[in-house]
Parts: sequence; C-alpha cells; structure tokens
Amino acid sequence: MITCTNLCKSYSHGGGTKRVLTDVNLTVERGDRLALLGRNGAGKTTLIKLIGGVEMPTSGKVSRKMSVSWPLGFAGGFQGSLTGYDNARFIARIYGRNYKEMRDFIEDFTELGGQLRMPVKTYSSGMRARLAFGLSLAIEFDCYLIDEIILVGDQNFQRKCHHELFEKRNDRTMILASHSNEAVREYCNKALLLSNGRADLQNDVNHALSIYSQF
Amino acid sequence: MSAPITWARWRQGLRIQRRVIHALMIRELTTRYGRENIGFLWIMVEPLLFAGLVALIWRFMKGSEEHGISVVAFVVSGYIPITLFRHAVSRCVMLFQANGSLMYHRQIKILDFIFVRFLIEMIGAMMAYIFIGSILAAFDLFPIPANVGFLVSGWFLYSIFTLSLCLIIAPLSEMSEVLEKFIPVVTYIMIPFSGLFTMSSWLSPTLREYLMWSPFVNAMEMMRYGLWGERVDPYYDVMNPIYCSMVAAVIGLMLCRRIRKKITVE
Repeated sequence: MITCTNLCKSYSHGGGTKRVLTDVNLTVERGDRLALLGRNGAGKTTLIKLIGGVEMPTSGKVSRKMSVSWPLGFAGGFQGSLTGYDNARFIARIYGRNYKEMRDFIEDFTELGGQLRMPVKTYSSGMRARLAFGLSLAIEFDCYLIDEIILVGDQNFQRKCHHELFEKRNDRTMILASHSNEAVREYCNKALLLSNGRADLQNDVNHALSIYSQF
Repeated sequence: MSAPITWARWRQGLRIQRRVIHALMIRELTTRYGRENIGFLWIMVEPLLFAGLVALIWRFMKGSEEHGISVVAFVVSGYIPITLFRHAVSRCVMLFQANGSLMYHRQIKILDFIFVRFLIEMIGAMMAYIFIGSILAAFDLFPIPANVGFLVSGWFLYSIFTLSLCLIIAPLSEMSEVLEKFIPVVTYIMIPFSGLFTMSSWLSPTLREYLMWSPFVNAMEMMRYGLWGERVDPYYDVMNPIYCSMVAAVIGLMLCRRIRKKITVE
C-alpha cells in the first residue's frame, strides 16, 4: 500500500514560487493500476517523483508499504557517461542482485546487443525505455512507476512489455502517467485526475477519461 | 515508515549502506579515471606531483634542512594533507546536481555522495603519503615515524574536520551561486592557517596563540610530532579538532537535510 497524506509540492526559483500539487491525498492498494491523467504541467511527473522518493514534498508525507520502483521515464536513473552494462552492474549492486542473472535478463529483454557496450547518452529514447524496463523487471518490484515511456517503444517492445508486465506480473501494482486513452483504458482500473494542483480519484476509468477530455 | 528501530532493521540499514557506498565508489572511480592505463591509481598522482614539485622548489630555495629537520620531508608532510582538504572541498561543490540521476534510487542518500567523494580523496592522499614517504625514506630524506600513533591520529583528526567542512560546503554551494564562486578563494586563503609552512614553536607566542584556534594546525602538529618525535616541539590540543568537527558536522547535517527538500531532479 502507498499512502500520500496532504502532499504539497512547490518549486521556487529566483523570486517566484510555483505550486504544483496542493493537498493531494491518495491511497494505492496492492494490485491497483492507477492512471494519472492531466494536461502537460498538471503535476503527473511531479507526483510520480514524490511517490518514488526522487524529490521530497514541500509538506505532507508519502509512506510506502511495498517495494516501489524508481520512476521509469525518459530521464533519470542512469548515468549517461557509463555504458548500459555499467549501469546494469551499478543497479545490481545497489539493489543487491546477482549481476550475471541481471545481465542475461536485460540482454534477452532489451535486444540491444552490442549497444549495451555504448554509453547510455548515445541511446535513443526507445532504447532507454528498453533498458529501464529491463532493469526494473529484473529487480522485481511490487509497484512500478511508469512515466509515459511505455508508449515510446516499437511494436515488438510494446508486445514484450505487455507480456512481462501485464501478463506475467499481473498481480503487481502500477502507477502510470499517460496521454494515451487506449493504454489507460486497457491497463488501468482507477484514475487520478490532476488539474490546478488538485487531485481527484475516480474508480471508473471510462468516466474519468470522459471528464479528462473536457479539460 | 515509522516502524520501530530494531536491531534487525539497523543491521539491514547497515547492509544497504555498505552496498551503496561500494557501488558508488566503483562508479565514481570508473567515471573519473576510466579503465585505461593506470586507472584508479591516478587518485594519488595529483597529490604526489603537487607535494613532490613544491618540495623540490623549497629544497632549492631553503637548503636541505631548517630548524634541524629535512625541508623536503617537512613540505611533503604539509602539502599532502592540504591537497586532501582542497580536493575534497572542491569535489563537494555542486555535488548534488552532478549526481541528480542517482536520486532516482531511494537507497542512495545525498550524504553518501559526500562520503564517497571524501573517501576517494582520503584514500588517494593516504596512498600518496605512504608512497612518497617510503621513497624519500629510502633516500634518507624522510624520517621513519617516531610515533605512528600520533601520525595516524593527527591524520584522522585532519580528515574528520575536512569531512565535516564538506558537509557544510556541499549544501551551501547549491543554495547560492555567490558562495560557490567564493570557495576556491577561501580554500586558498586557508593555506596559512593550515599549519603547512611552519611548526607553531617557530612562531612568536602571540601569533601562535591565534593559529592554535585552527583545527588544521592542531592536527598538523600532531602528525609532525608523530614523524619527528622529540626533534620538534609540538603545540596541540586534541579536543580542538574534535569539537570543531562536531559543530561543523551538526551544521552541515542540518543544511543537508534542508537542501534535500529543495533539490529538483531532472
């Protein structure tokens, strides 16, 4: 279970302060598949970062009672100057996993081949997505935080993700930020509407999507 | 998150801490020195060159001995600690931003970044110290330590104080760009207060009184007493570096805690 209590986040730069999230209260139960819906800048990524513990809330609290992945997105989680293998080795070390098993898994899952020997900064966003997914699947989290990137991959990758994440691991919890209505409808059973810093949890995804289309 | 702090939990935390420090050390060494030629041995080349070349210049300027001790050894014993201080501090500037992508992994805390960079500098400086000391000792230019205990504890106090300063400087450099620009100047001005150039006993009593406020001077006197024993006349107070480190560490930890809330990660 993940609980967010009175979560507020504002960013200040120079003289100005921008409040992104105001008093967000949210409980994600084990097995929930929560979609975050909101326009650009509504705070989807910020909320994911707070839940993942990448950034700290200005006030309020996040408590996690299960293992939560790092936010799988376009940026972050990797050291660009290191190779794919080096990043895998680093992540295996900090999560206390066996590197050999991890390497075999990501070689098979990402199909990046020799590219794994190149620095991650030379990767396309699709390739990064493959690596990020491969590594987090190898670690086996209870909850996966997915920020957009599920949609960047090609057909083959999406099929693989679908199989690994939604079929083999369909007991897992997932928080997915996405602009794709089909993906939300297909994968999620709950939706959180974000606008003007406020969050509104809907248990009916289709209803949530119809509200969202009016934003 | 508010589970009781039990022994098992503490041990678990320790295990994760060890894993993270180990992984970060390797990562830092590979990104900084790569895998080619001498690799991570580079960490001792810089202090080595610095201390060696300055010692050489002093040797020609001042002759082989001053106050009855070897000039080369004296300079080396002063410059290696100061390079530790200056490198550790400059490595801490804007450290959290540089490591932003690592904050995606919750088990890595910002303090780990400081510990790791400091440890690397400290190990490098120690290796350089031992290396240059043994070579010079082979040519009879460096004393065999008269009291290893004093040498090691002086080094330890010097390092601890450096680390506690790093705990302050790392968050401060992120808070204000003005401060960040001042740091190189300040570390340069620190040099006379580091006990590098003289023993306190060679100074006038008034000057000495002021310099004894500096934790670096106290630690340096201990190291030099450890090296030359009764041939020098050390002035030191063990408690000074300890108290100063404690105060600096408390301030630093508070600043780190504050800054963590404000760090924005791309």
